[in-house]
Amino acid sequence: MPRVPRIKASALCALVFAALAATEIRAEDIVVIVNPAAKAISKDQIADLYLGRSGGLTPIDQTAGSAIYAQFYKQATGRDVAQVKAIWSRILFTGRGLPPKQLPDSAAVKQAIAANPNAVGYIEKSAVDASVKVVLPLD
Amino acid sequence: MKETLHRRVSRIAEPQILFPLIAVILLAATWGATLGLVRIKHAEAEHDAATLSHELLGTYEAQVVRVLHEIDQTLNLVKFWHERAGMHGTLAELKDRGLLPPDLVFSVGIADRHGTILESTRPLGAVSVADRGYFRDQRDGDSIRVGHLPQGPTGDGRVPFTRRLNAANGDFDGAVIVAVDAAFFVSGYDASKLGEHGVLGVVGTDGIFRVRRSGDSMFSGDAINYSSLLPKPDEADADPPVSLSSWDGARRWNSAREIYGFPLAILVGLAQDEQLAAVEKSSAVYLWRAAAGSLAIVLFTALLGRMSWQLAQSRLRESESKLEHAQRVEYLAYHDGLTGLPNRSMFSKLLSQRISEARRYDRELAVAFLDLDRFKQINDTLGHEAGDQLLQEVAARLQGCVRDSDTVARLGGDEFVVLLPELADGKLAATVAHKILGVLAKPFTLIGHEFRVTASIGISVYPQDGQDEQTLTKNADIAMYQAKAEGKNNFQFYSEKLNANSLERLTLESSLRHALERDEFRLYYQAKRDIRTGCIAGMEALLRWEHPDLGTVTPMQFIPIAEETGLIVPIGKWVLKTACLQSVAWQNEGLPPFGIAVNMTERQFLDESLLQDLASILKSTGMNPQLLELELTESLLIRDVEKTLRILTGLKSLGIRIAVDDFGTGYSSLATLQRFPLDTVKIDRSFIGDLVGPSEDSGLADAIISMGKSLSLTVIVQGVETKEQAEFLRAHACDELQGFYFNRPLPANQFAQLMRAQTANITYVGTRAGLQNQQP
Repeated sequence: MPRVPRIKASALCALVFAALAATEIRAEDIVVIVNPAAKAISKDQIADLYLGRSGGLTPIDQTAGSAIYAQFYKQATGRDVAQVKAIWSRILFTGRGLPPKQLPDSAAVKQAIAANPNAVGYIEKSAVDASVKVVLPLD
Repeated sequence: MKETLHRRVSRIAEPQILFPLIAVILLAATWGATLGLVRIKHAEAEHDAATLSHELLGTYEAQVVRVLHEIDQTLNLVKFWHERAGMHGTLAELKDRGLLPPDLVFSVGIADRHGTILESTRPLGAVSVADRGYFRDQRDGDSIRVGHLPQGPTGDGRVPFTRRLNAANGDFDGAVIVAVDAAFFVSGYDASKLGEHGVLGVVGTDGIFRVRRSGDSMFSGDAINYSSLLPKPDEADADPPVSLSSWDGARRWNSAREIYGFPLAILVGLAQDEQLAAVEKSSAVYLWRAAAGSLAIVLFTALLGRMSWQLAQSRLRESESKLEHAQRVEYLAYHDGLTGLPNRSMFSKLLSQRISEARRYDRELAVAFLDLDRFKQINDTLGHEAGDQLLQEVAARLQGCVRDSDTVARLGGDEFVVLLPELADGKLAATVAHKILGVLAKPFTLIGHEFRVTASIGISVYPQDGQDEQTLTKNADIAMYQAKAEGKNNFQFYSEKLNANSLERLTLESSLRHALERDEFRLYYQAKRDIRTGCIAGMEALLRWEHPDLGTVTPMQFIPIAEETGLIVPIGKWVLKTACLQSVAWQNEGLPPFGIAVNMTERQFLDESLLQDLASILKSTGMNPQLLELELTESLLIRDVEKTLRILTGLKSLGIRIAVDDFGTGYSSLATLQRFPLDTVKIDRSFIGDLVGPSEDSGLADAIISMGKSLSLTVIVQGVETKEQAEFLRAHACDELQGFYFNRPLPANQFAQLMRAQTANITYVGTRAGLQNQQP
């Protein structure tokens, strides 16, 4: 994992707050969802899973350029897009894993999760339906 | 050689050399070890960095090769599908099947033969790639091509990889493009190993960096000298040397390797400053420790040096004081403690030495013995302190009047000797002797009083008076005794005749010491007669010495010696005791109790224990003190009137009678005599020598007798030798007479007969004829 210089980290924190303040009005709440048969999962487990630090479950991503992608990583892992990319680049480069599969929208995510008991994903809260189970609301 | 080596070694052992040397050796060892350690640590760190650089290169190579093969596989897969299917939608289908690499860093595109992008997984940024090198090159070849970013920060720029697409007839039909995030190739940058200034990079065989990363900074597109980057083939496996990185000017251990099958090389560099920071920090610690150690060594050796120096100093002082003590002891052994002059031992040595020199150079030398006259009396009367003071003063004066080459020594007591070693003629010693007598004649001030002393000097000369030290010394001594005999305060040269006289004197002196124990003394008695009746009125005890070899020795001969040696005291006691015993014995026989007179010398009279001795003699013999009369010369009485008075009073308290001997010779005044408790005066024979001659003499004798009478004393006239003298004295009312005319001194038994005869009423006249017959 690339070391983030302290100055940059504090600058990033400032940006994060700014972003949160901005998205609170526009963006919708995101929830982490799993297959209804799956067990509950903690926020720390989510972060580890999406940053390649643990396996076992299959994380499913939204498109890297989407707003929900950035918001999810910010809220779930505290990392911005560039950092997440750097982390996964490194994992990929050193051959220790593959980044989560990216699906084009929340509907595709729900579909994939409904089909796979091991899958984990995230969608807008408003998009939740009975096919999936919400394990963690993010805010 | 060996000696100088030994001397050098022992010189090294001296503290002022040894301690600095030890300090230098310790400092050299400390700094040698420290600098060696620093060098070794440095070398280790450099080796470690180079090795690490090499190892990292290996790891990096494996990763890059894997990625490149994946890329190439993707290129080949897309190429295969496209050439076989030859239609649009290849990429979408492959993606659906999961055959394309993740979108995260990879994007795939297909360009037609004109360079127009037909399809892509992500927008490639440009619609046409016709003018790009990586596309154009594919028209002419069939190998993988790698494009590059423009020079500058990498950002999210992508590096394109291409492979040629062939039409069915083999003609050029476009290219497959896989664009990879440039940053991806250096995402494995590990700051914990590479630091902030290390480098990780991919460079084309064209010498252009596809990407390079140092810390968090990534650059692309800058050109370098590709051939200098790669190691020479035979050094490929060796650790890389430090070299200057041309792109940023940093010094690094750079390792580079070409990737087989691709127009690329990889580069790993470790910055020298970062890799050596730790070792330089620890080196600084070592150097500081060495500096602190050096300071400790210097202080310690300085302390040791100082302690050793102090020890050496105290040893030096000790040996100096030992030497001083030894010198002092030697000095004391050869010098007289009181005067500081050489003593007898040293004088003997010096004299022997000078005799040898005189013999060799045919010179004469003189030995002058000097003895202070009457020193014993001074010592006895003034005390030892004054005596010592006198000796010191004499020593100083003697030294003051001889040459430097001459030696003054003190042999003991009041005996000094002057050695005159360089004399052309021995007789010149007389000049020195004169001079000595002169300086000693000046008055001495002792305990606040002025005193005069004189000396007697005896001189012997080498070679005529002796050839060796002992003879010269003995002969000078003999000459000195002669000087004393000559009346003191003079000097005498030794002569053979002197030797004979002196021998006699020495013989007398030595036999005198044994005379008492050998019972050689006898008392003779001389009668004193009443001038009117002619009867015995008393007697005088006279001492005789019957020497076994010399016969009878007169008091004139031996009394001065006895007086001088102090033997007079025991002899005098013997005389008193014998006289008393005799008197008592006669009285017991029935003879009349006659008075008995005994002479006293000066020394006897001044002897501290005189009164005590007399008291005990009187007690032990049972002698009536009224019958004992002590005769003292007039000159002795008036020498110290107060002291005489004290002694005389003491004598009177014992009941002893006191007579003045040789009355008239001391010129004492009537007033003085009146103070003394006297009983008898004895008129000296000189006043009656010529009584019958000119009336002058008879007048004087008459006056003296009258004076005695006026003091109510018994008047005795001594030395009456003729009838005429006796007649005259009788006419002038003298009390008693004494002399050869009346009686010669007789031994005790004969004197007893005389007394018995008188007791038997034999007349004076009758005996006189008899006595006259006895005269020789």
